[in-house]
Amino acid sequence: MAAVAKTSGSARAGEPETTMSGDAPSGAMLEIAGLNVSYPVYEEEPVHAVRDLDLSVRSGEIVGLVGESGSGKTTLARAVMGLLTQPGRIDSGSIRFDAKDMRALSENQLRAIRGRDIAMVIPNPRSELDPLIPVGKQIAAVARAHLDIGRAEADAMALDMLKAVHIPDPARRFRAFPHELSGGMAQRVVMAISLVCSPKFVISDDATSGLDVTVQAQVLDLLRTLVREHDTSMLFITRDVGITAHFCDRVAVIYRGEIVEFARTADFFENPQHPYSVMLLAAFAHNPALRNKWHKPLASTEAEAGRACLYAPRCVHREDECDARHPDLRELGARHLVRCHFPVERVA
Amino acid sequence: MRILRYIGRRSLFIGPQLFGIILVSFLLVKLIPGDPAVMMLGPFATEEQLAMLNEEMGLDGTIIDQFWIYLQNLVQGDLGTSWQTTKPVFDDLAIRFPATLELITLSLLLALLIGIPLGVAAAYFKRSIVKKFSDYYGLLAGSLPDFWLGLILIYLFYTIMQVAPAPLGRIDFAVLPPAPVTNFLIIDSLIAGNWQALWSTLGHLVLPVVTLAVINAGPILKMTQATMERMLESDLIRYAEMCGLPKSVVIRKAFRNSLPSVVTIVSVLYGFLIGGAVLVEIVFSWGGAGQYAVQGVLNADINPVLGFVLFSAILSLIIYLLVDLIYFAIDPRIRG
Ligand SMILES: Nc1ncnc2c1ncn2[C@@H]1O[C@H](COP(=O)(O)OP(=O)(O)OP(=O)(O)O)[C@@H](O)[C@H]1O
Ligand code: SF4
Ligand SMILES: [Mg+2]
Repeated sequence: MAAVAKTSGSARAGEPETTMSGDAPSGAMLEIAGLNVSYPVYEEEPVHAVRDLDLSVRSGEIVGLVGESGSGKTTLARAVMGLLTQPGRIDSGSIRFDAKDMRALSENQLRAIRGRDIAMVIPNPRSELDPLIPVGKQIAAVARAHLDIGRAEADAMALDMLKAVHIPDPARRFRAFPHELSGGMAQRVVMAISLVCSPKFVISDDATSGLDVTVQAQVLDLLRTLVREHDTSMLFITRDVGITAHFCDRVAVIYRGEIVEFARTADFFENPQHPYSVMLLAAFAHNPALRNKWHKPLASTEAEAGRACLYAPRCVHREDECDARHPDLRELGARHLVRCHFPVERVA
Repeated sequence: MRILRYIGRRSLFIGPQLFGIILVSFLLVKLIPGDPAVMMLGPFATEEQLAMLNEEMGLDGTIIDQFWIYLQNLVQGDLGTSWQTTKPVFDDLAIRFPATLELITLSLLLALLIGIPLGVAAAYFKRSIVKKFSDYYGLLAGSLPDFWLGLILIYLFYTIMQVAPAPLGRIDFAVLPPAPVTNFLIIDSLIAGNWQALWSTLGHLVLPVVTLAVINAGPILKMTQATMERMLESDLIRYAEMCGLPKSVVIRKAFRNSLPSVVTIVSVLYGFLIGGAVLVEIVFSWGGAGQYAVQGVLNADINPVLGFVLFSAILSLIIYLLVDLIYFAIDPRIRG
């Protein structure tokens, strides 16, 4: 399986589609189907952060998940880990990871998987690292929690990880406290923590958003190299559609909790079909100012329309049907899923 | 080293701080109504007798003069005399402060043993019986007066069950007390190898210590619980959960990071109890520092009151310094 996985983006192109998650179920490392997550609000309609979401990541594959702030990316990641923040809850749907039904597992079983098989790389690790413990020890603690090893061996592994993430002077940094590290170094420490147990699956949630551009590029490069080296699968969450181009095998676009487009990376960039995707790509291609603007959630004029297309209020292609009928995710072209009544024609 | 520099900087302020405290308390104590000369000589004293006594005690000058005299004596280690005990205030306090410190130190240790585990458990098991119990406990401990609890305990364990010694001081009258070294009876008994005295001392400590501990565990519990609850919802702990760290490790991590606020509340309670344990001291005839000061206030006996304030102030400064040292030890961010 691993051999196929490396180039999974194209390797399985010919296979028939059996699910809406854009993947044959057999090779899936992560398989999410019909997932609904909401945050109840007192005496009001709950916030539906993730809606009817289907998504899959194959073994060895990197899938990008792009969406603006508040679109539900972190919620999705946390739902997979079984660690939604209060008062979030999964209303329906299934999450299968490595042939296990994650929703059926006990807290202790989940604990054994978290950090061991699924690891999360978080952004801006300032308040996440323990301020009272040297970072090397924090890496070692995760290794010891999951692997049957002694203190010395765990420390050695931690030191190796610090080297692997290219931290300068790793032996000294091992003993450093989080507040003594720069943002980029802290980010590397978090990567070391997530990779120390050689997980099968990594979720990177906006992992580089707090870093300046050059450091960001280095960290991303490193992350990709490490993930590819170990044949790890990854869900790469970002607000920056540009990054996905060089990074991912496939790209999914999420808008208000819904997947609106999901395609192989080349397909997506050559032939984006959802009006929202087109807007994203246009903005990124031409105008860095727009890109920054996009990071902020736009003023929400959209009503909680039960039936209309969720993107309708912002859509330039909107027609009457868009208000009357909520579009389904459907396949347009080989493994190219789009949720739109009037997809954008190929431009070229 | 940073810590030495810190202590040095800190001690620079000790002098001025103490001076301020003495000045303010001197003025305040002078405002307490009552004329010591009248108190001492009784209602039938003549004007001349009163004037003579006032002069003798240095109470005939202006308040500034009196303060000046007090300061001059203070510098020589003379805190004046208590007209009630007729002994130097310093000697009185040298016995009474250890009495109080022994009591409240043990009480707070026990309060920690009660409050911290309950607080941690209540924060971790959010919908459990422990949490319910802790809520009621906090409420009760906050509303019960400590002297009342002391009386109840005396009634139960001394009067009815007769397992506790009589609430009359720190040691049985029949037991020969150890030679005074530190005036902490436990320590002195140990130094003297006087096991009988040690046993008696411990026996007398049980009820007042339990009384104060049960009441003061309340705020410790509340503070531990609140901080732990906040900590358990924090990014730090969420990330620890995300890494799949074992429960015990997660709780320990949360607790270690909550420790500064627990240390803070304990230090506040400690400073407060030096005087605040007075009602319990009275109930158990403890002969502690608080009792001494209150007697002074009631009888216009100024020197014990001032002496008490001064001792308390010094002790508080020491406690705050200790607290800072503990912060230093816990938190590498301060250590720098
Ligand atoms: N703990 C919570 N309680 C209530 N609502 C929440 C909570 N966490 C997230 N939400 C809501 O759920 C929606 C999705 O949030 P989420 O954090 O998943 O977005 P995101 O895509 O990760 O955004 P960002 O790019 O800013 O990280 C938002 O509308 C947010 O307000
Ligand atoms: S369905 Fe209509 S409104 Fe929605 S994205 Fe497509 S064209 Fe726009
Ligand atoms: Mg997020």
